[in-house]
Amino acid sequence: MNEIAPAVEAAALVKHYPGSKNGDIEAVRGVDLRVESGEVFGFLGPNGAGKSTTVKMLTTLLTITSGSARVAGVDVADDPDEVRRRIGVALQEAGLDPRQTGRELLVLQARLFGLSAPDAATRTDELLQLVELEDAADRHIKGYSGGMKRRLDLASALVHEPDVLFLDEPTTGLDPVSRLTVWDEVRRINARGTTVFLTTQYLEEADQLCDRLAIIDDGRIVRQGPPAELKAGLRERLDLDHEPTLDDVFLDATGRSRSRVAGDVQEVAA
Amino acid sequence: MSQAWLLGQRALREGARTPEALLPTLFIPLFFLAVNVGQAAEIFPSSSTDFLNGQGYGAFQLPSSLLLAASFGTAALFLVEEIEGGYFDKLRAAPVSRTAIVAGRLIAEAVKGVLIAVAIVVLGLIFGITIASGVAGFLLLVGLTALWAVVFTGFMQLIALKTRSAAATNSAGLVFFPLLFLTPNFVPRDLLTRPMEIAATLNPVTYVMEALRSLVLEDLDWGTILPGFAVVAVLGVIVIALNVRMINTYD
Repeated sequence: MNEIAPAVEAAALVKHYPGSKNGDIEAVRGVDLRVESGEVFGFLGPNGAGKSTTVKMLTTLLTITSGSARVAGVDVADDPDEVRRRIGVALQEAGLDPRQTGRELLVLQARLFGLSAPDAATRTDELLQLVELEDAADRHIKGYSGGMKRRLDLASALVHEPDVLFLDEPTTGLDPVSRLTVWDEVRRINARGTTVFLTTQYLEEADQLCDRLAIIDDGRIVRQGPPAELKAGLRERLDLDHEPTLDDVFLDATGRSRSRVAGDVQEVAA
Repeated sequence: MSQAWLLGQRALREGARTPEALLPTLFIPLFFLAVNVGQAAEIFPSSSTDFLNGQGYGAFQLPSSLLLAASFGTAALFLVEEIEGGYFDKLRAAPVSRTAIVAGRLIAEAVKGVLIAVAIVVLGLIFGITIASGVAGFLLLVGLTALWAVVFTGFMQLIALKTRSAAATNSAGLVFFPLLFLTPNFVPRDLLTRPMEIAATLNPVTYVMEALRSLVLEDLDWGTILPGFAVVAVLGVIVIALNVRMINTYD
């Protein structure tokens, strides 16, 4: 029997940006990842850790400095167009055209993926129903709320029924109700067989949604595994008398402390 | 339907839904036409000015206004918005030909160029300007203006892709003014001072303007018309090739 190819496989993935006179900036320093088909995989890390850069390499938006990556069984560097046919992408900032209506945007996206005009219209209706935007379908996107934009962005990433869906911080900046709606969408999409690669800063989100996760810090993977396993590992290693949270795992993995994080926040707020 | 045309239709909708960005492209060239004619028409009366071929000075100035109208490059500013807003990455993450992403906006710019050129020429006709080269000349006039719009927008798109900055892209658009004033803008090339004549001869915009002017003032004079089309063809190929190269290596 043929083995199913992993949804995402990265080996020694490196990204350098041309820097100032001090040399190149090493945003990603050798990431190894394996995401199985059908999983919801969480990719966590502090700001500037390399999450978005890694996602952009996997989604063909950035060139790879060294190492290799395969998505849906296709080499990202060798055949980027085939990768693009198999993935859906919703990036950190909802990538929408504010002057189009929601319906126009979805129809265009479907047409760009090769659907005929009637098929694109049908698929658009399905997606608008999926993300509960039928009533707003013919309004200009610039009038949408943040939550509506995220849902539309999600829908536009699904027009071609991708094998792997990349969601880069899909709930950042959303109110709690909109966040829960997006979580429901992610679960629904995954239940239909789509692998979800999710980056987030919200540990509760990762805990709720992800089968497995990886934590990246300073361009390197520092922890990888199912949330329960990571928590159990920390409890055992530190001989804790209580069940650690994913926050504790994250702080331990990234070498941060609660006081330092609180201090950082206070400093920014001042 | 090709991806470029799908994206072109989107860009046209975008233009139609942003009339505040479109109206200056019509109003400002007409304003300059009125001001330039007002200032110089008395100096160049049609009865005693050979190079006007019996028309008023407005007919001589019409090509400048057409070129100005085609040199706003608003599409490049929309592109910067798209880069900043993330939609550009959305398109790049789809299996869309990189050439189509570049060409979509340029196709829309050509259509807008046609509409604006027709509007300006029709207004000119209302105010007594005639197109001496007839219907064929009118079509060539509109076509050449639209092609120039594609070339200039292609140049500004290049700046947009390189800098990803609205300020830099907007500033780059101002390069048109020195190019315009280094043409035989107010008088024919042979009446310019020697240094200005040399500058105008080296300036490719001169040949586009002379082709447009010839279509307004004379019967079809292919010796003047063809160099104008040759300039937009060569510059068009160069800017489109550079745009495609830029988007292919965009990181």
